[in-house]
Parts: sequence; C-alpha cells; structure tokens
Amino acid sequence: MSDGQRLAEQLPPAKVDMFDPGGANTRRRARNRRLFTWVTGLPIILAIGLLAILLFDIVTDSFSWQLIEPRNSGVSFSLGDGFRFGGTWERVVTLDLQAQGRDQQEIAATLGDPEARRVYGARNRVELMLWAEGMPLRYVVTSSRDKHLEDYTLAQGFSRRAELESAVEPGQLFYLNPWLDLAFFAKNASRTATMAGLGPALAGSIMVILLVILISVPLGVGAAVYLEEYATDTWFSRLIELNLNNLAGVPSVVYGILGLSVFVRGIGLGPVVLAAALTLSLLVVPVVVIAAREAIRAVPGTLRQAAYGLGATRSQVVGKVVLPNAIAGITTGVVLAVARALGETAPLLLVGAAAFVPRLPDGIMSIFTALPIQIYAWVSENDVEFTHVASAAIAVLLAILFVLYAIAFWLRRRFGRTA
Amino acid sequence: MRGEHVRTAGRVGPLRLARAESARERAVTLVLLACAAITILTTVAVIFVLARETFAFFLDPAVTVWGFLTDRTWTPLFADKTFGIAPLLAGTFLVTGIALIVGVPMGLASAIYLSEFATERLRRRATAVLEVLAGIPTVVLGYFALLFVTPLLQQVIPGLNLFNPLSAGLVMGFMILPTVSSISTDAMQAVPGSLREAGYGLGATKTDLIMRVVLPAALSGIVAAIILAMSRAVGETMIVSLAAGQRPLLTLDPRETIATMTSFIVQAATGDQPAGSLASRSLYAVAATLFAVTLVLNVVSQAIVRRFRERYE
Repeated sequence: MSDGQRLAEQLPPAKVDMFDPGGANTRRRARNRRLFTWVTGLPIILAIGLLAILLFDIVTDSFSWQLIEPRNSGVSFSLGDGFRFGGTWERVVTLDLQAQGRDQQEIAATLGDPEARRVYGARNRVELMLWAEGMPLRYVVTSSRDKHLEDYTLAQGFSRRAELESAVEPGQLFYLNPWLDLAFFAKNASRTATMAGLGPALAGSIMVILLVILISVPLGVGAAVYLEEYATDTWFSRLIELNLNNLAGVPSVVYGILGLSVFVRGIGLGPVVLAAALTLSLLVVPVVVIAAREAIRAVPGTLRQAAYGLGATRSQVVGKVVLPNAIAGITTGVVLAVARALGETAPLLLVGAAAFVPRLPDGIMSIFTALPIQIYAWVSENDVEFTHVASAAIAVLLAILFVLYAIAFWLRRRFGRTA
Repeated sequence: MRGEHVRTAGRVGPLRLARAESARERAVTLVLLACAAITILTTVAVIFVLARETFAFFLDPAVTVWGFLTDRTWTPLFADKTFGIAPLLAGTFLVTGIALIVGVPMGLASAIYLSEFATERLRRRATAVLEVLAGIPTVVLGYFALLFVTPLLQQVIPGLNLFNPLSAGLVMGFMILPTVSSISTDAMQAVPGSLREAGYGLGATKTDLIMRVVLPAALSGIVAAIILAMSRAVGETMIVSLAAGQRPLLTLDPRETIATMTSFIVQAATGDQPAGSLASRSLYAVAATLFAVTLVLNVVSQAIVRRFRERYE
C-alpha cells in the first residue's frame, strides 16, 4: 500500500454531492474548463510560433551556399593569412592581381592610380565567407561579373555538403555566404545581388526619420497640450478629437496619395527626402498625440494647482510642470511613432522613393530610398539571390525595431506607474 | 472625458496678467491651437485631393459613374480601357474575408484567455508578444506570405498561383489578431463584476459564465473590434501587393491571382503614368472608394464603442 493510499484511508470520506453522487458531473466540468482554457490560449501560442518561424526563416534565408565561377583570380585565403597581411585591402588586391598573372609594375600602377583603384573596387570585393574550399572562415575575392551557377539554402548545403563539394570543378568556388555581413551596411545599391548593400537605404531612412521626429513631435505634443490643457468642451475641440480618431484609421496608402498630390506635385518638392518626411509626419502625428495626451492626463492635478497657486501662468504651468512630468510617456509615444514610420512602405512608394539609388542622399532635397522600399524592391526582383539580400535587410530592419520596442517597454516599465 | 484638472485649472487660473504676459499667453494658445488645427487640415486636404481628381475622372467622356459601379472589368493601364471597380472590390473583400476568418476567432479566443484565465504576469507578457506581432512592418509580412507561406501551401493545394489571396489573407489574419484581441480584452474586462457574481451565484461554471454572461455583455465592444480589424485589412497594402498579385479579376477563387484596391494604387503609382492622365486619375477614384469604405467602417466602429462606453462607465 502506497503512502498516498494510506493517507486517503485516514481522511474522512469526501462529502457526496447530492445532485452528482458519482462526481461525474464535476469531472466533466473540470475537463471542459481545461479544454476551454487550452483552446482559448492556443492562438497566443500560434502567434508566438508564427513570430518564431518568421524570425527563423529570415535568419536562415540570410545565409546561402553558392557555387560560382569567378571572373577574377578566384583566390581565397584563410583568416590567419588575412590578419598576417594586416587585413589590408591593398594586400588582397595584390594577391588577386598576382593570381591573375599581372606583374609587379602593373599592380603598383593599379594601386597607385585612384581611378584604377575605384574601378577595381566597384567591381571586386573581398568577403569573409563562413566556409570555403572545405575550410571554415576564408576570405574570397568576388566580382560583379562572377558567374553564379547554383544557390543552395543553409539546410541543403549542410546536409549535402560532401556531395556538393566533391562536385566542384576546377575554376569554380563553393562557399557559404553570410549575406548579412559588415560590408552589407556599407555597400551601395547594385543590379548584382552580391554587390547590393544597404548604404543608401539606411542613410535615407535615418534622414527621413530624423525629419519626421523634428516635424511630428512639436506638432503632436502641441496638439495634445491644446486638447488637454487649453481646450474647453466646444464643438471645435470635439471636432478635433473625432477627427483624430478617424485619422488614425485612414489607410497609410491614402496618406501616400496625399503626399504625392500635395508635397511632391502640389508644391513641387519632387520625390525627395523632405516630401517623404512630411508625408510620414502627417501619418504619425495621431500616434504622438494619443500617447502625449495619455501622458499629460497622468500628471496629477495637484501639481498644476500648486503651480497656479504660486502664480504661474498657463503656459508656465505647461512648460515647467506638465511637460517635464509627462516626458517619459511622451518619449514612449515618440519611440513607437518612429518605429511605425520606419516600417511604413506604402506611403513612401507613392511619394516616389526610388527603388534604385546608387548613392547616399546628400540633403533633404535629394532623391532617396529607404529600408522598407529597398526590401520591397528586392523581394519584387523575383530572384533567389535577391531574396537573400531582402532577408538580410529585413533582419536589419527588425533588429532596429526590436531595439526601439525594447526602449519603449523599458520606458513604460520604468516610468509608467510613477508618472 | 475632459480631465478634472482642466476645469480646476480654469477656476484657479491667474486673475490678472501683465499686458506683455497676456500677449505671450495668447501667442502660445494660438500656436497650440494651430498644431491641433493641422490635424483637421490633413483630413480636409485628403478629402479635397481625392474629390478633385475623382471628379475630373468622372468628367472624362470615357468614364461613367454607372460603368464604374457595374462594369465587370478593370483595365485602366491597358490600351482598351474599362473602368469597373467590381474586380478590385471583390479582390479586397476576398482577402479581407480570409483575414477575418483567420484573425477573428483567434483574436476572440486569445481575448477570452487573456481576460478570464491568464494571470496578471502572463497577461502582460502575452500582450507584449501581441504588440510585437502588431509592430512587424507589413512589407516583412508580405515577404513571409510570398516566400514562405505560398510555397508551403502550394505543396498542399493544387493549382495555387504564386500570387494568391489565400496566403495573403492568412498572414493578414495574424496581422489583425492583435487588434481584435486587445480591443475585445478591454471590452470583456469592462464587464462589471456584479454581472459575473450574479452568474456564479446562479451556479454557472466558468465556461457558462464566459459564454452566457461575459461575451454577450461585451458584444458591442467585440463587434467594434471586428469592424476596426476589417477596416485595417481593407486598407492594408504591402501584404497584398507582394503576395496577392496585381491582376484585377472578378472571382472568389482564393487560388487565383487577383488585385485589391490598395495593390492597384501601388501598381498605378509606381508605373510611369503621367500626372493628369486618365489612368493616373483612376488611381484617385479607387483611393476615394477605399477612403470611403474605411471611413464608414471606422465611424460605425466608433459609434458602437461610444454606446458601449455609456453602458458601463
């Protein structure tokens, strides 16, 4: 007899439910409740699963095994060699040119001539591959004119590596390409997937976002202060409130049409950084207003009364009491607005962000591209290599967004309850 | 809804100000008022722009309002132009329908779980997950639908096109899940405790209570959430542009390539239609239709929410 059974015998008999003597009903109810809990909790598990699959897909898609036929020397050398050369670009170029059969004078001429260096640099690249020629971490000199023969997914490459490596013919290279490497951030746009990078898109996004902050924060906070601290309950303030609710529900593509008609064509800015920033600002102002209003409402009325009691004017109360106390909530709202603006694609497409911008934007009146636009363009290429580039860009975009959300969550936790 | 402090502030406000100070106060008030007014100006500008170009579109001899509403083909970018919005509307509501079929039951179920079963800690974490899901840019979801979901579905469903409303709708269902869930959770938590206690007092189990007391009492809030989610789905652009295709087709077959109002807008705007051409103006007519549909949905949703608030506050 087990301990449990002995214990059960010592206990007084359980009260028998008059209506449910066998307890079957109670057990059925308990089972139903468990089932109900599971069924209703399932979507949350599914949502987590979807997020996990999405992230897994993006991360694995930003690696691929490639078989190429190099147009340059096709030399590859180990990480150790790379460090021994001082990791210098010149040394690698020298090796590549040597392998191509150039003599010392020609090499010196190429390295000494800025134009020749630029041409070489525009076509060739030294990339650190995770696996090449049967060894981990090797530098490979790639070129935009390499012939790309095959592209295998991460899993395919790992499961069939021996077979694929033995099939590599002389004059071919087989390597594991990490599409998301440091060079990816610096590279410009290119028609060749291996040469395409995020440079102009990152610069464009950063410029647009900075302008959006400059425009939408004063507007949004101003409107919030007006609604919370100044407006009396008139038809006008009610109209503003109703309108804000509706604006938050207007599809972003309609904002794009507004930007196209008013900023790009109407006042003739053209498809430039400023037009995009103005359009996105209109889009996120409701987000800022709603967050700022909540933060302002959370400032205790006693603080205001104390300030008025000390003889402060209304603008002084707002400037020195209300806003400083609401700053954490407002910042949270701004961070969320920035996250929203960073991922918005449709308005920028309509405003005319270009899919192919070979250089960095050089001012607010410069044509530009942005991260989500670049992702859209790369996905639309319908080419397996550009898929990897798009995955790498998405990984960057999501990483930035996660940082922003982490900041917002932290601000909310840190200041949320005390404000 | 105006905060208590505002009225108080008005009452104890300074009685008399020096003239310079009062001028400054007026200036500040005006600037703040202008900020608030800009939000109204945005709406006015949207309506003005859409109305003007749509009007010009219908004035064109090649277009009639009747044809716009009843024609069964939409080919403004072809040489032989026809302008019947039906295929775009059908495409939009096909994708939206699939998204609602996926998103609404899941959103409702998770709202029940979060509101009735989850501990406070779990609720905070799950809400954070849903917020992250809601924060994923739709271009990323479009990528996922096109390059992950579609190949997967193609193995199961024969005859599924590369661009199809099915995978777009499925992914969009997950996009609207957080909207349905968070608003429905709020609605269920607003159901007064006295109703729940009365239910338990009558011998209801938790399951009975949720199905017969909480859900009916929160119904208006839930309906509002569903309508709002529908408006989101109708206005969603990038998922459909990438995954559902850009071929206007009057069909309800979820395997065919279709076009929605939003994907047509993107297609027309990214092509080289000269401004002022008929094809370019058709974009505004579609956008005006889209704006009208989402506006009606939003207004209805808000009206329901307002009525619901009056009941329980």
